[in-house]
Parts: sequence; structure tokens; C-alpha cells
Amino acid sequence: MPAPAGDGAFAPPPGTAWNRVSPRMPWHWRLAVVLRGIPVAVVGGWWIHQGGGMAGLLVWVLALLVSCVLVWGVGELSYRSAGYLERADDLLVTGGVFVRRLVVVPYGRMQFVDVTAGLLERWMGIATVRLHTAAAATDARIPGLPAAEAAQLRDRLAHKGEARSMGL
Amino acid sequence: MPYAPPPGPYGPVPVPQMYGPPRFHQGVHRLHPVTALLRAFVFLLIYFVLIGFSLLLTPQEDGYAFLEPAAVRRFALVSIPATVAAVTVGVWGWLGLRFWIAGDDLAVETGVLRKRRRFIPLSRMQAIDIVRPLMTRLTGLAELRVELAGGDGSGVVLRYLGRRSAQQLRAELLARAAGLPGHTPEAPERPFWRVPFGTLLLSLISRMPVIGTGMLLALLLMVGVAFVEPGVLGGAIPALLGLISAVVAPSIVYGRFAVATSPDGLRLRYGLLETRMQTVPPGRVQAVAIVEPLLWRQRRWARVDVTVAGYAGERQALSSVLLPVAPREVAVALVAHIFPGADVDAVPLVPASGRGLSLDRFAAAGTDGVVFVARRGLLCRRTTVIAHARAQSVRLTSGPLQRLLRLGTVHVDAPPGPVRVAATDRELSEARAIVESTAERTRLARSRTGADPARWAR
Repeated sequence: MPAPAGDGAFAPPPGTAWNRVSPRMPWHWRLAVVLRGIPVAVVGGWWIHQGGGMAGLLVWVLALLVSCVLVWGVGELSYRSAGYLERADDLLVTGGVFVRRLVVVPYGRMQFVDVTAGLLERWMGIATVRLHTAAAATDARIPGLPAAEAAQLRDRLAHKGEARSMGL
Repeated sequence: MPYAPPPGPYGPVPVPQMYGPPRFHQGVHRLHPVTALLRAFVFLLIYFVLIGFSLLLTPQEDGYAFLEPAAVRRFALVSIPATVAAVTVGVWGWLGLRFWIAGDDLAVETGVLRKRRRFIPLSRMQAIDIVRPLMTRLTGLAELRVELAGGDGSGVVLRYLGRRSAQQLRAELLARAAGLPGHTPEAPERPFWRVPFGTLLLSLISRMPVIGTGMLLALLLMVGVAFVEPGVLGGAIPALLGLISAVVAPSIVYGRFAVATSPDGLRLRYGLLETRMQTVPPGRVQAVAIVEPLLWRQRRWARVDVTVAGYAGERQALSSVLLPVAPREVAVALVAHIFPGADVDAVPLVPASGRGLSLDRFAAAGTDGVVFVARRGLLCRRTTVIAHARAQSVRLTSGPLQRLLRLGTVHVDAPPGPVRVAATDRELSEARAIVESTAERTRLARSRTGADPARWAR
């Protein structure tokens, strides 16, 4: 899949390609947003119907449709921008829609790796891998990896981290 | 290192004497026995203020009578058991805490009936502080704190030891941590810099916010006196409190500040009322910032802030200053001592892109083989420095506005602390190049320094 134009700075190193996350990742995101949005949509719709009648409700439904399209687009963009790459000495993680980021984490600096999967994620068979270093600012999250791949990645990272560990 | 300490016009810092033969490397030890009495005393003081004092008063029609015979009897009846209880608690706590050096660990056992034993790996030690609160300065006691990486509550506090024993224990722990036998004498230290109290006070006052608040306070008081208006106190009291916390408190905390260097690391001594003696072993400083407020720049003064991994939470705020004020050259020399081979002023700094929205014309960043330097701040200039060998990760971020302008920010991450190293508003392609080259340099620096910086003396 081609990277969005103008993001050469977030391209993979020459001669390599990002490992993509699961195509189920954007669906998980959309579903999570929609599930959280349903109560807001219903309560808001009822409230506007009370105050503004049919016309208000129409505007509300229109606004909901626009947000659905936005959520759809953001899901797609976050899927396209997400990626990771294991190099000889460090791990590259990229992603982000509003704030694009690229994180380089040396294996020797990893304190621990955790794999989390919420209820929805478990049902969809995906998981989030997160690397922790001593710096809290290190934001190396890889969301939406297939569960098996996540477990393998965790084991590989833990192994490499152990081999190169250097404390603080 | 082609470096000599700058000539101190204030005379040498007294070199501490040796503290007798080592004794902590064998056997089990307890805190100083006076600790028990001190704890009982504090307990009794609280008891007297809360309960005891009111027992001495007898309510009468016109107020209270003091020291009626019946009241004294009542007071004795309650106070004697309370005293016994306080002394028991004090002695119990003293009996319950034992510590010893077990190989490479400091072992601390607490509890008399139910025992809890903790082992503190000395190779993971980030700093050792000896603190002497005002109360213990009268009794010749001191508190020893060992800080580990891992945030609040991961270190250990031995409260209280005799003053000499604390210094001796510190010397032995440092020797152990460095990989030397415990009976190694304390490493000799070389005075580096001493901050005269006048300079400290002047530097605290000559800052824009302080001067502004001072002027506001004066104006409010003048208005208040001229128009006999007590309402100005609503503004004057917060301003006064602000001045106290910005000038008086730091001048007491950082009074008599002295920095010394030794093979065991940096030694800091400071404090007018509560004196602290901090030792930061080599390689424990994660990142530093040279801070130059606007009004300090004519005098070429600078402050050095520091991130040490062990200090977390409230302790971080207290221990984040490595040098409260000194000539800029001294600050740079201190940074060169912390990160061997680094010369901050020799690192070529490339200004940030002019396309950025920020007004900050001082924003710049640069790197050499040893350190990554980022400078920012239009009024208060901060030059942040991190050694490549200490970088935890390298990040490139680009927010929505920055992406429209095709700019990005490069962060070189250090453990949480007052210093954040970030090169703002770089051209995106340049930013990516900085990330790649910094990642490569950190890799080289790590392989050069070897696997584990824990045993610095070996």
C-alpha cells in the first residue's frame, strides 16, 4: 500500500518495508468508537428531539453521519501509518494520524514488553504490543497485531533485550 | 581530561577527614540507639499537643484554671502510660530494624515478630544522600538514603545513624557498588566549586518573575498605605508567599552549596538548616540542562539542572539542581565532567527552521560523537544535553500544524525528570536524518562504554 504523499520522513529505511499491522486494526478502532458513541448518539438525539423537534433531529443525524465518515477515514489513516521494523540493534515503530511519530528503541534499553488485548481485541484476535524503557516519554506502541504475531514479537524482543541489556 | 577546575576565588572546600576503620562490611547493624528516644519524644510531643495540654486545664465559669491539683493528678494518670507506650514504640522500632551488607546487596530487615527482609542491589544504586534535618544537627545524627531506579519507594532510608557511621556506611556502600572490597578507604575528593551566599541570593532575586512580583508587592503596599485599604492584602499576601517560595526557600535549601568531584562521582553539599550531602556515582546522571534566565546573561551566570533516575516525585524536585548558580564556564566544565569528552560550547548548533510558528529565535540543536545538545528559550535560555550513551530512545513527532509546514520535532528521551531534550521545528527530511544519525551514534556510544556501567571502578 503506498504511503500518503508528503510523508517521506516517516518512510521505512531504504531497502526495507514496514511490517504492517492486521487489517482488522482499523475495524477494531471503528467498532470501539461506535460502541462508545451509541449512548451519546441516542441520549443526544432524544434531547435534541425534545428541544428542537424533527429539524433538530435531522441535523443531529447528519452530524452523526459526518462523524462516522471521519471515524472511518481516521481508522484507515491510522492503519496505513502504523508499522514496525526490527533492525539489528533497534526497533522502529511508526504511526499516528494527527501527530505522526517515529520511535527508535534500542533493544538494550528495553525494560519490559507487554502485550495487552481488551475484550473487543480478543474477540477480533488482535493485540497491542508496547515497549517500555526507563523514559516514560518513549511511546512505542504497536496496536492491532494479530495475536500470534504479537506473542512471537514479544518473545523475540524479550530475547534480544536480554542479550543486550545494559541497565541504566 | 584536559581540564582543571576553575580557580575558586572563595578558597578551597574543606576536605573531609577519614572516618576510622571500616566496620559495616561484616556483622549485623542497628540504627543509632538515640533514634528510639527521638521517636518516643516526637510521639510524646504529639500526645501533649493533642491531649496532654487540655488535661491540665480545668473549665471554670470565667475561662480556664491552669494546674489545678486534680488536673495534675489526671494528667499524670494519663501521661505515665503514654510515656511508657511511646518509649516502647520507639525501642520496638529500633529493635526491629537491622541492616547488613550481604555480598553485593544491602540487606534491610524490619519487624520484630513478623520479619520483612529487603535486598538492595548496590550495582543498581543511583545515588546516596546523607541528610541532616535541623533537629538531628543538634544530636549529631544523620539520615542515609539509597536511591534506586524505579521511582518512589524503591530506595531505602536509614533514619537515623550516627553522623560518622553514616559517612562511613556511605563510603563502604560506594566501594562495594564500584566493585572494590568494603575496607577500601573513602575515595579522595577534589573541590570543584563553591557558591557564595551573596551570589546565590543575588541570582535568585535577579530574575524577571521575581522582580515583577516584588514591584507588584511594593505597588500594592503603597496603594494600601496611601488609601488605607486593607483589600490590597488579597493581592499582597499571595505575592509575598510567591517571593518567599522563589527567593527565601531556595536560598535556605541551597545555601552553602559546594560541589566536589571524586572517583565515586559527584559530591554535593548544601543547606543552611537541613544539610544534605548527595553522592551521584559516575554514569548516573541521565541528562542535564544549563539554564540562563534573561537577567543572568550579562553576568554570564548559569544554573545546572539534572535528571538522576533514582529521584522520583517530591525528591526529584529537591534534587534536580546540580549547581544553583555559577559562571557559565564552570557550568560547562561541570557538564564536561559528567559526560567525559563532552564540550557543550564546541558542539555546532544548527538553528531551527525559520518556517516554524514559534517566536523562539534561539532554538537550535547539534550533536557530536558524545552528546546531543538542544537549545531553546527566548527569555530563559535552556541548553539541554544528553550523552548518546544515556539515550533511552529517539523519537520524531510531527503535529498537524507542523506537518502543514513540513516540520518535525526530534526528541532524545531520558528517564522522567526536569530535563527534556527535544530539537523543535526541524525540516522533516532533516529531522529524519537527525533521528537516523542519533540512533547510530547511540548504538556506537553504547558499544564503546561496554555492557554495564554498574561497576565503574573495575
